Amino acid sequence: MTVPPLSAAERLVGTGLGGTVPAPDQADPRRPNGSHARSRRRTRGPAAEQLAVAAAIVIVLVAVVGPWLAPHDPYTVDLTQQLRSPSTGHWFGTDVNGRDILSRVLAGARATLSATAIVLAVATIVGTLIGTVAALSRTIIDEILMRICDIGLALPSIVLALGLAAALGPSLRSAVIAMAATWWPGYARLVRAVVRETRDAEFVDSARMLGVGRMRLVLRHVLPNSLSILYVQVSLDVAAVMLTISGLSFIGVGAQVPSAEWGAMISAAAGNVGNGWWAVLFPGLAIAFTAITFNLVGDWLRVRTDPTLRERA
Amino acid sequence: MSTPADRAQYGQNLLEIRGLRVAYGNSRRDAVEVVHGIDLSIRPGERLAVVGESGSGKSVTARAVLGLDTDASLSGSIRLGEHELTTLSRRRMRDIRGARIGLIFQDPLAALNPVMRVGWQIMQPLIIRGTGKREARQRGIDLLGRLGVRDAGARFDDYPHQFSGGMRQRVVIAIAVIAQPELLIADEPTTALDVRVQAQVLQLLDELARERGMAVMLITHDLGIVAGFAERVVVMRNGRVVEHGDVDSIYAAPKAEYTRGLLGAVPRLDSDPDRELATVAPDWDAS
Repeated sequence: MTVPPLSAAERLVGTGLGGTVPAPDQADPRRPNGSHARSRRRTRGPAAEQLAVAAAIVIVLVAVVGPWLAPHDPYTVDLTQQLRSPSTGHWFGTDVNGRDILSRVLAGARATLSATAIVLAVATIVGTLIGTVAALSRTIIDEILMRICDIGLALPSIVLALGLAAALGPSLRSAVIAMAATWWPGYARLVRAVVRETRDAEFVDSARMLGVGRMRLVLRHVLPNSLSILYVQVSLDVAAVMLTISGLSFIGVGAQVPSAEWGAMISAAAGNVGNGWWAVLFPGLAIAFTAITFNLVGDWLRVRTDPTLRERA
Repeated sequence: MSTPADRAQYGQNLLEIRGLRVAYGNSRRDAVEVVHGIDLSIRPGERLAVVGESGSGKSVTARAVLGLDTDASLSGSIRLGEHELTTLSRRRMRDIRGARIGLIFQDPLAALNPVMRVGWQIMQPLIIRGTGKREARQRGIDLLGRLGVRDAGARFDDYPHQFSGGMRQRVVIAIAVIAQPELLIADEPTTALDVRVQAQVLQLLDELARERGMAVMLITHDLGIVAGFAERVVVMRNGRVVEHGDVDSIYAAPKAEYTRGLLGAVPRLDSDPDRELATVAPDWDAS
């Protein structure tokens, strides 16, 4: 088998690469000009998500100024006004001690939301840190951190809260500490799994081959491509954390009577559902409304942080 | 494997690989050696093609030069100018990467960070080395325009998914060359592209290398793109260099049986239509 010599052009023809090379500035026919994508990028998400973001802002504002908005004092007991149904004087009715429920819901926003926010913030920060370190270390450190997570996951928050209540005295604060201590391992697991996948992505190698240092590699390349799933998880967990805190309040290790905390209010009123459903319904609606709002905000956040989804929205 | 002409060049080579062995695996016992002592050199401004089928060790060699695989154990020598890369500290290696050796990956979409704007990614090699933002941006836009991206100033702030395949590969090239490396390693830069875009990208690489006096190591399995681009060819198989010489002599009179097989396997317009294409037996000269 002999191969006769060929000129370079002939060789190219032979492989279908010959002919005139088109000018390099051939535009993609799908994109007649650059302005197309830019105008699309400005489009906002659907109305539901904008509404949710607006509602979240309102909820946070209420948490800040709630006590001043309250038409009645949320703590004044008036035994002549026990379990009044909703009326123009008491929009949400009164509870078994004659306290105005609207005022207590407004005042309780602060306690419930700040407790939830603290738990989730601590869990997110600690979970991200531990999960990222574990995923990137690839050594015995990974094993150790994950076994610590297993211990955390095996320990129910209620048991830890009971222990802390015994040590620090029962209060919303010890419930928050117990919750945060038991909530982060799940996030650490989640972050570790995603970061393990992202760290092997070609664009991470590619950045490393440009001389990008470790810190910048993690902060600008690995984490921005890993955390979107965490946003969703956190927003879904808003409801779960609020309900768990109220559960802790119910067994007496969370918010103490008479403090206005949504979960504690529901627990206190649960015995009177038959003749005072409003005392359970309105704090419950507050929890549900807040949970749905933050779920939608989480979705919106996920879309905002992913340029591919942002364009489709 | 080095020829006398090659030895005469010793000392003025930009990149000099001698007896390189690459093995993967954590412990010494279960390590698998995939490159078995190869020699290779590139002079400044030269275009070298490394060809071979998949699994021949050509990509592994390229990755070894930049120390990309942390789990690979290297022996032998890789010299870049005055630096011995196999023993260089992590810190010093970082100064080499991007600034003295650029690397282009095969898949232009996978090589771009999906959540960062392309401009940010093009500027990054300059920014991490202390160039001012304004200057980096200007150089990035100029380079992107030079690479044939229309309206480069406006496209600079787009995201990778807003670019077509060929345009993405231009962005990847821009990122690889913006810090003015002396050597560009292109690992199958055109494999993920269609034939017409392949030709454009190769032509751009060719022009860019000429303009900047940059050496290029083109790694490919496609003999068709080698002829028009490279000056010298290294044929690899099973982790060894099978043949090695300048492009015209290899195409005109391949010495190794494997190279003849490879060339015979490429369909050509000027050959007898009834001629059967050659095949390369799986373990032709495997050892």
